[in-house]
Amino acid sequence: MSARHRGRFRTVTRGGCLLAAVLLAVAADTRAQNSSTVTATFTIAAQTKLIFSATTLTFPDADPDTSPVAATQNPITVTAGARFGAGQAVLTVVASDHLRSGMDTMPISALKWTASGPGFVGGTMSMSLAAQTVATWNSSGRYIGSLTFTLDNSWNYAVGNYGTTLIYTLSVP
Amino acid sequence: MRKVLFTVFVVALAWCAGTTIASAQATTNQTLTINATVSARVTLTLSVAAVTFGDADPDVTNPIVLTDVLTITAKARVGAAQGVTLTAAAAGPLTSGSDTIPIGNVSWTCSGAGYVPGTMNTVAQAAGSWTGPGSYAGVHSFSLVNNWSYAPGNYSTTVLYTLSAA
Repeated sequence: MSARHRGRFRTVTRGGCLLAAVLLAVAADTRAQNSSTVTATFTIAAQTKLIFSATTLTFPDADPDTSPVAATQNPITVTAGARFGAGQAVLTVVASDHLRSGMDTMPISALKWTASGPGFVGGTMSMSLAAQTVATWNSSGRYIGSLTFTLDNSWNYAVGNYGTTLIYTLSVP
Repeated sequence: MRKVLFTVFVVALAWCAGTTIASAQATTNQTLTINATVSARVTLTLSVAAVTFGDADPDVTNPIVLTDVLTITAKARVGAAQGVTLTAAAAGPLTSGSDTIPIGNVSWTCSGAGYVPGTMNTVAQAAGSWTGPGSYAGVHSFSLVNNWSYAPGNYSTTVLYTLSAA
């Protein structure tokens, strides 16, 4: 490169640097002048969902000497969705009454369940205010478990078609 | 600067609002219907399938009372007000070849709620009765009238116990 060309190159380079500096300054100035904040808010409310694979349990007639009787629909799959902050999600169950057939009854405590799946526990059914814990979880999530029901059989049960209703409640704080 | 403060304020407000909503309780209910069928059934269990009276002097041992007893377990699942009956019927007199001992010479005493004593007959005799479902256990103790008129021999007969719901 000749001396003349080198001089021109320096000039162009200087000019380019100057232009870049100006552009940067303008850009910087533009950012400063037009800055704004977009606030994205995503509201996460406490929420629960409860799904059972079956909503009716049937216990067929059986020889009381081979107690207990297993429900035809066993096992029941329970899917629980719980979204909450601090605290614990609790799934409870309570029976509306003993199993009844007219005036005849089977004690609700004859109905028992075993459980599998994270947080799920087995238990013995009760009624009135004595709700039984079926599962607990310490954090939000979707939990799947299985419940297997049995009914203690007895020669003391009178002939009949017995029924009752269980109410499962999933609560989060 | 004021814009920045305002932005911080808006974000904080939104966060507070979100926290408030999230802390509200939530509950879901699911109903499960239970159905159980209980049909009528009865079962009868006897502790032994045979009882044997030993030979004895009619002047010394009369009647001959079995030391071994018959334990009976009658299980019935019936209606709450439904009757349950246990009967015993002999197939015939005690027989040894052409010799016989009248079946009426066999009788029984008993223990256990609902069980009743009786004398054996070829016509079914009441041995127990109950009302409603349950498992009823009792004991029959047999005795045989001893008599010099019996011809020597090994006598036997069968007794049919029947448990039925009325």
